[in-house]
Amino acid sequence: MKTNVKRIFTVALLLVSNLILAQQDIKGTVVEKDTGEPLPGVTIVISGTDKGASTDFDGNFSIAANEGDQLVISYLGFETQEITVGDETTINIELVEGQSQLDEVVIVGYGTQAKKEVTGAVAVIGAESIEKLNPVRIEQALQGQVAGVNITASSGAPGAGSNIRIRGVSTNGDNRPLILVDGNVIEDLSVINPKDIENINVLKDASAGIYGVRAANGVILVTTKGGRKNTPLNISFDSYVGVQNTTKRLGVLNATEYAYIINESQVAAGNNAPFADANLGSGTNWQNQVFQEALISDQNISATGGTEKSSYGFGLGYLYQDGIVGGEKSNFNRITARGNYTLDILDNLQLKSTAIYTRSNQDRLAENALGSVLFNALNMNPTLPVVDSNGAYSLAEGLGAEVINPVAQIANSYDQALVNKISATLGLEYRFLNGFSAQSRFQYNHADVDTEIFKPVVNYGSGKVFNISRNELIENSDNFQDYTWDSFLTYEKSISDHNIKVLVGQSVFKTFGTFESFTGFGLPSNVYGESSLADATEIVDNQEANKENGANTFDVRLLSYFSRLQYNYKGKYLLSAVVRRDGSTRFGPNNRFGIFPSGSLGWVVSEEDFFSDNNFVNFLKFRASHGIIGNDRIPDYRFVSTLAGEATYVVNEERVLGKAEGALANPDIKWESQISSNIGLDANLFNNAVNLSVDYFVKRTEDLLLSAQVSGILGSTAPGSSAPTINAGDVENRGLEVLIGYQGNITDDLSINTSFNFATLENEVLFVASENGFEQGGGFGVGLEPPARMEAGHPIGYFYGYETNGVFQNQTEVNNGPTTNIDTAPGDLRFVDQDGNGVIDLDDRVNLGDPIPDVTMGFNLGFNYKNFDFSSATFASIGNEIVRNYERNQPFVNRRAAVLDRWVGPNSTTTDHRLTAGANPNALFSDYFVEDGSYVRIQNIQAGYTFPAERTENLGIKKLRIYGSVNNVYTFTKYSGFDPSASNGAPIGGGIDLGFYPVPRTIMAGLNLTF
Amino acid sequence: MKKINILLGALSTLLFVTACSDEFIDVPSRNENSEEFFNSQEDYEDALIGAYDLLHATYLNVMLGEIASDNTLAGGESATDVPGIQQVDDMIHGTTNQQLRDIWGWMFAGVNRANYILEFQDKTSFSGKDNIIGQAKFLRAYYYFELVKWFGDVPLAVDERLQFGDQFIVDRTPKAQVYAQIEADLIAAAAALPATQSVVGQATRGAAQSLLGKVYLYQDKFEDAATVLENAVNGPYSLVADYASIFEHAGENGPGSVFEVQYTDVEGAGFDCLQCSEGNVAVGFNGIRQYNGPVFDSGFSFNVPTQEVVDAFENGDIRKDVAILDIEAWNTANGSSSGEGYEHTGYFNRKYIARKGDLNTGDQNLTNPNNYRAIRYADVLLMAAEANNRKPSANDAQALIYLNQVRQRAGLAALNVTGAALTEAIYQERRVELVGEGHHFFDLVRTGRAAQEIDGFVAGKHEVFLFRKSKSILLVGVGHKTQGTNLII
Repeated sequence: MKTNVKRIFTVALLLVSNLILAQQDIKGTVVEKDTGEPLPGVTIVISGTDKGASTDFDGNFSIAANEGDQLVISYLGFETQEITVGDETTINIELVEGQSQLDEVVIVGYGTQAKKEVTGAVAVIGAESIEKLNPVRIEQALQGQVAGVNITASSGAPGAGSNIRIRGVSTNGDNRPLILVDGNVIEDLSVINPKDIENINVLKDASAGIYGVRAANGVILVTTKGGRKNTPLNISFDSYVGVQNTTKRLGVLNATEYAYIINESQVAAGNNAPFADANLGSGTNWQNQVFQEALISDQNISATGGTEKSSYGFGLGYLYQDGIVGGEKSNFNRITARGNYTLDILDNLQLKSTAIYTRSNQDRLAENALGSVLFNALNMNPTLPVVDSNGAYSLAEGLGAEVINPVAQIANSYDQALVNKISATLGLEYRFLNGFSAQSRFQYNHADVDTEIFKPVVNYGSGKVFNISRNELIENSDNFQDYTWDSFLTYEKSISDHNIKVLVGQSVFKTFGTFESFTGFGLPSNVYGESSLADATEIVDNQEANKENGANTFDVRLLSYFSRLQYNYKGKYLLSAVVRRDGSTRFGPNNRFGIFPSGSLGWVVSEEDFFSDNNFVNFLKFRASHGIIGNDRIPDYRFVSTLAGEATYVVNEERVLGKAEGALANPDIKWESQISSNIGLDANLFNNAVNLSVDYFVKRTEDLLLSAQVSGILGSTAPGSSAPTINAGDVENRGLEVLIGYQGNITDDLSINTSFNFATLENEVLFVASENGFEQGGGFGVGLEPPARMEAGHPIGYFYGYETNGVFQNQTEVNNGPTTNIDTAPGDLRFVDQDGNGVIDLDDRVNLGDPIPDVTMGFNLGFNYKNFDFSSATFASIGNEIVRNYERNQPFVNRRAAVLDRWVGPNSTTTDHRLTAGANPNALFSDYFVEDGSYVRIQNIQAGYTFPAERTENLGIKKLRIYGSVNNVYTFTKYSGFDPSASNGAPIGGGIDLGFYPVPRTIMAGLNLTF
Repeated sequence: MKKINILLGALSTLLFVTACSDEFIDVPSRNENSEEFFNSQEDYEDALIGAYDLLHATYLNVMLGEIASDNTLAGGESATDVPGIQQVDDMIHGTTNQQLRDIWGWMFAGVNRANYILEFQDKTSFSGKDNIIGQAKFLRAYYYFELVKWFGDVPLAVDERLQFGDQFIVDRTPKAQVYAQIEADLIAAAAALPATQSVVGQATRGAAQSLLGKVYLYQDKFEDAATVLENAVNGPYSLVADYASIFEHAGENGPGSVFEVQYTDVEGAGFDCLQCSEGNVAVGFNGIRQYNGPVFDSGFSFNVPTQEVVDAFENGDIRKDVAILDIEAWNTANGSSSGEGYEHTGYFNRKYIARKGDLNTGDQNLTNPNNYRAIRYADVLLMAAEANNRKPSANDAQALIYLNQVRQRAGLAALNVTGAALTEAIYQERRVELVGEGHHFFDLVRTGRAAQEIDGFVAGKHEVFLFRKSKSILLVGVGHKTQGTNLII
């Protein structure tokens, strides 16, 4: 920013004249421009010096300054002002709310940096964006807000997680970014209340290198809300209540259609028609039986304030969410309590502390699996009633081993997880000499996760895999703890126009925990809650084999040293260099330590003399970064062969446990390294009304950590064993990210802020050193081969199967083939003989698409008119494929309504195959099951009204706003399943839909109240 | 003040920096290091359990071996239900057949676990070690015999595990050499093992002798086979009078059982790791589709007997109704109902289908407790009969004695034939006595009858599964040379 350099320049000049000018006491008051209210705690600094003052409760300040001094008046959430001291002794200042983007401070790891000086690809999301979206989980606030960050819900069930992918999928292992909340490692974001978040910083490129071996998937830094010094007690209350509904019900056959179709398919197979009278009315709509309206409510109360020496913030929140499937059986509720306290022990010694307590309870139903609730709702016979004439749940006879009555399934599901978690941080910062600062921060997490699953005796029908003849109670209690201890020293110095900041530090991380698991069989009562584990006739300790050596515990550590140099000349030429050395217990002595260097450069063109003041381009910065960062997310102890395998046999008719080797060891295993390059620019245009950021990146992951299929001769498929983790692949992700925003006042009453971002992503596997040159994963149908692959020359996790070319119309076409070895008749799908050898065999399978979107976009629009506010957020994902895999290939299950357009005779259709209960090749994995999963979703619309302050003040209310909001408003998509936005997140095998629990549409009303 | 400042600042950072050295991250695994094991008798016993564990995985050998023969069809839910099984039935199995790869991998896992013990056999002494080493050798032979039966030439490892990295350098060993090792192991095992074990389920001298006899038969070493099988015949075994009782729970580990794979229903299992099940997975796969009625439980209707094998039983053979379940007749008689799967023949493999009465631990189809009667005394008798009949100095009289013992129990008249006719009679008897037990395909192959009996079987091609060409060897993972070994660390 120009003014910055100007400021430094002016200050330098003034410093010289400082000596000859007389010092005087300047007094004044700082008020908020709109309301005229005094602002306490505003910082006033004489530019270029460390002299400063802050305003008291009445907004008054006093500072000794010389004529010509530049006062910098700054206050969080307000635009910074600069005033040159003249001959007056009183200066009254009006601050304007809102913050110029360039004054934003960005967290870059172990410190902050002014956004204008940042040289990496870093995105910031503030509390106001989060508030507009009303998310239940933090991830939902990221979707569509940051270019290049793609969030897919792993399910729409309350409390379910999301998959965060920053700049694509770079490994077939763990692609989760490193997430730090106040410096604390948080793996499960469900425990964080989004209302407690001050801001989220996303490090997308090599600037994440300060986090070394854990940074390859990007780093997300979350800061929780705190108070401010010299502010009165401020209490606010936020609340909303909403109703959730499914966004979609799929078209399936009603009872009459079903009966006709079943008759047809049975007759086609040479059997008798089972329904003599097919006119059975509409029957049971099983989706209507499992979907319901569900409640969501969220209440938060928070208090902030501060004295001259301290500041504090407290918050208490309660979220309650029922599921749109199963209601209370898929409930999530969460209590969060939070405290944040800072204290200036000495002028140069500051203490910072935070604590978050979370208690969450989640009830779960089977989902996105063969035989899960929605899968069953789609496949269940519509001629069956929910309950039979005896009042018992009807049995799903004849529908295969997995499809059961979904209503009975919900009624018999008892699966809940209770999480009690405390996250606390304590930090001391000591400033000494001139420009030195020493900080030590300790972060600690403690979580107890208790899971209880009850399986009552139940019969769902003949041969059902879910039948239980001896009831079971499973109780798991797992404990997870970790601490991070960061200690670092920074030194900041300006010598004429050279500004230097140096950081050296050390970080220690340890995560450890214990697992306990018991199963009780044969409980006296078949009613949940009536019997406890102790009542069981037989109790099995599921951790028995591990306990002998304490292998039901874990202990993983990191030891890191890091250093960073930040330099700029006149704020115009920027440089940052980082080196980090990480040691990880995950790697063996051969490769225990890794060194990760990265660097970045910036050039603020708008500070150049040739770039004279203009109103067109107010700010322009070019930047480039390059670095090597790592990924250590692999299972523990893969470098040494241990007896972690499964050895179970039966002697004397008793099960006996022995010892066997676990995963194959690879002593030379090391972190995977990502060579990440980024070039970008940031610009502010048209009087800072428009801001623009453009980034192009190439991320090349080398030495990919792969649990690769290896030769079977090594015994890796033994129970409890697995393939070795090896460094055996290269993947490249390339993409362009553009963010453009506009913020401006159209009239005095109307202001608009809008932003649009898009990101392209090209993913290509360059090399896989696997047994056959590919890795495969995912599941399709029953008993079929995995449909997804990772193979050189294709995107990671692409779908591999037959290409179809219409439908055989007559026997001549069938005879002319080519066909598979499965009996084929007119009306069956025609597969393309890719190699032209006259038969359809396994070699004819090709790339049918992949689940990675080519382009993702976000569009946010907000405006304020007088006391009304409006905001909306839209997200688009283009070019991702989804595999439709929720149809059970069984003769008597229900079908999609699409089968009404099936092939029924020559030239009836060329898209949908015939129906037959006999042998046919149509269930083989082909593009018939691969659909375009592109979608555009209006994620959120919110409209609010803030009561005029003068009206509410009498009631002691500073601010009262009411709003109405709709989340997940509408999705434009061609995809025929429930929800194109869901994925299990697997790098190989993601994007396969077994009946995803859809993300609900939520209509809510809420209020924000501040006292 | 300045000095104190410096001091405090330096202290606050350095204090911790110096307190934490690189040893902080030197944390040993909670699980024992596999190279520092075998320090006590218990360690050997524990490792032996691990070596036995892979016997559970042989359910697939039994089931797929039966399907490969002309005894049964693949069946299942549909033509695309487990393509690997369908392909083997149709003799069109290709390079990526998952079930064949499973057998390959699981049997080598068994070899490796047996070799783990034998690699460290000299580390610690204790009384009773010979028995443990004998069992380890028996198991290594058992797994290698399966490998040779299925795949012919296979990489041979003796008293050392095949470790990560070896896949680049190990090549296939000719079958004859592998057989030599199997023989040596079984001879050693027979010498080390007692005639009966105090623990039910452990390999015995008779088991080693019987398996050795079979191994000789597979190599047409009829003299050797006759000799060793004679010893086995004279072991502590007898034919159970009631053939029907053999395959029920009460008949497990009975006097006719020479070696039996021990399964249990106490532990749960899932499809993601079938080899991890402690139950007999084949039993659920073979089971009656959507069955609702007495005696039996449902299953997945794989491995369904053909009309041809049903017709192979002579009139009056009491084994027919034990081996073959005629489901329609059964349903009519018992008021039960059932569904039809792919390639429905109306028959099920009654010896190994799910029975009611077990714990049905989930997934109940994968945790059936039915032991696999791997070597039955009747099998030993028929092998002994064949060896005596086919050895150069044929002893058909002895062969007839053995054959007729088996026939007599089946309620059939004694035969009195010699020479080739006797050979044919023995083959026929093996088929009906052992139907459903996974032997027939390999009997057909070793006696050169497979091409004439099995649809789609091509002589010179289908005798072993997977492929003899070097490209095929790559596909089963015996060499990564074309992948660039430098890149795999």
